[in-house]
Amino acid sequence: MRLNRLPFVWKQMNVQFRMRTLNLLAFGLTVTQPVIFSAVGYFLARTAGRAQIDFIHTIIGSGVMGMWSTLLFTSFFDLRADRREGTLELLVGSPTSIFSILSIRAFANVLLGCVSFLLSMIVAMSLFGFALPHGNFPYFLVSLAIMLFGFWCIGIFLAHWPVVSRLSGLFLNYLELPIGMLTGFMFPVSLLPAWAQWLSMLTPLSWAFKGLSASFQSDIDLPSLWINWMMTLGISLVFLVGTFFMSKRVQDMIRVTGELSSV
Amino acid sequence: MIKRIYSDIRLYIASAWYSYRALYAWQTIGPYISGKIAFPIAQMLFFLYLGKLAGVQNPLYIVIGNILLLPATNGVAGVSMTISGERDFRTLPYLIASPAPRGPLFLGRSLVHILDGLLSTIAALILGVLFFHVDLSHSNLGLTALCILLLSVTSCGMGLILGSLSLRTRAAWEITSMISILLYILSGVNFPIDVLPKFLQAISYSLPLTRGIQAARLAMSGATWSTISQLFTGELLIGLVYIVAGYTLFIWFEKLSLVDGQIEAM
Repeated sequence: MRLNRLPFVWKQMNVQFRMRTLNLLAFGLTVTQPVIFSAVGYFLARTAGRAQIDFIHTIIGSGVMGMWSTLLFTSFFDLRADRREGTLELLVGSPTSIFSILSIRAFANVLLGCVSFLLSMIVAMSLFGFALPHGNFPYFLVSLAIMLFGFWCIGIFLAHWPVVSRLSGLFLNYLELPIGMLTGFMFPVSLLPAWAQWLSMLTPLSWAFKGLSASFQSDIDLPSLWINWMMTLGISLVFLVGTFFMSKRVQDMIRVTGELSSV
Repeated sequence: MIKRIYSDIRLYIASAWYSYRALYAWQTIGPYISGKIAFPIAQMLFFLYLGKLAGVQNPLYIVIGNILLLPATNGVAGVSMTISGERDFRTLPYLIASPAPRGPLFLGRSLVHILDGLLSTIAALILGVLFFHVDLSHSNLGLTALCILLLSVTSCGMGLILGSLSLRTRAAWEITSMISILLYILSGVNFPIDVLPKFLQAISYSLPLTRGIQAARLAMSGATWSTISQLFTGELLIGLVYIVAGYTLFIWFEKLSLVDGQIEAM
């Protein structure tokens, strides 16, 4: 019998949204932190005696950085919260795969992170008089959708790590800023050393942000935009497929060894 | 009287020891050291590149500011987390029910964070010298160390205030996180306070850390005691005000929680 998965998806997202919207941490990640990062960029520009700021990196970039922080800290800590609250065993014991559950949660987390991006767009338009160049809206929408897909794939990847290792939490706290730097959300990757620029090419988010930034330009370089889109999709799919196999392996492993709560 | 002082000191040290055991004894040296290296470097680089994008002339200002923020972050977040952690692990009611005086019981827990903050700062200073060419050759090292110690202590007052919120709300840790990132703007870490609007400058000077960071910067550039004494004393006084306010708030919230029986319900 083929099951209709939509009610399950809807309920899972509903729970996730309720948990996040009533959570002050999510507010801090989606609203406060991007505002602070933008403000630091703005005051640094004033310190340097500049009247104008690089609004793509300082305003929009901080919104995307907010999406990244939200995704990192919500997706990764979802499963840890399950472990702490004793619901992890129920999740693993249920007939639905961990991969499905975490995928839906990651999707809800990505949508939540969009609040951050939307706020940055509102600030850019209302305070800095930014307007999307005429005719760019379709490119912007495609770039945004592809970026969200990239975030989703990375979110699923991150969400699985606490199943793989308890120790991963120690290192994950330190990922936020390094990945934020490699992706070039808040400053161009070209400022980084050459080896870091190469490293940045391995993350779909750097390509995704390049694509999004390109869609804001009045003279769009279409071939370059296509490359950014394709690279984002390609690398994201590599992460997605890798995570799918990792998930199956881990789920089998913890069921066979019974080490669910000890990993 | 002497017996009371002895008992308080014993409790303070025991509290610090158990706090150390709970926070660090289980950790292996690898993740601990990597945390001490990875986080400061990431933070310094992140704001350094923001400064580069903005065209800041003196990037070392940002590097040094972020080094000096480390002991303060430990003090604010560490102390707050200690109290909210008791709530998370369901041990807060036992502590509240115990007859032990609250001062040594909770301030003892902050000792570990003060020491850890100092260690973080030393590690970050070494990294700053090695990777960012921070020049300490003209520094007044003794005075710099004293300023860093002062920052570690004064920030605990803010941590105590934020931690006290744990007695009345589940969101104390989240509030602490938000206040902690506000320090990137308000404490003069990344840019001088003068570029802020007047009302933000007023907030900045009413916080601990602002004067302490200014004093530490001056000491690092070779200033003597007479140059920084005003800033140092100001920081000390503000820090004491925050510690007393935090302690008073804690006692008040404790009483409120005992009266309405909502110590773990809120």
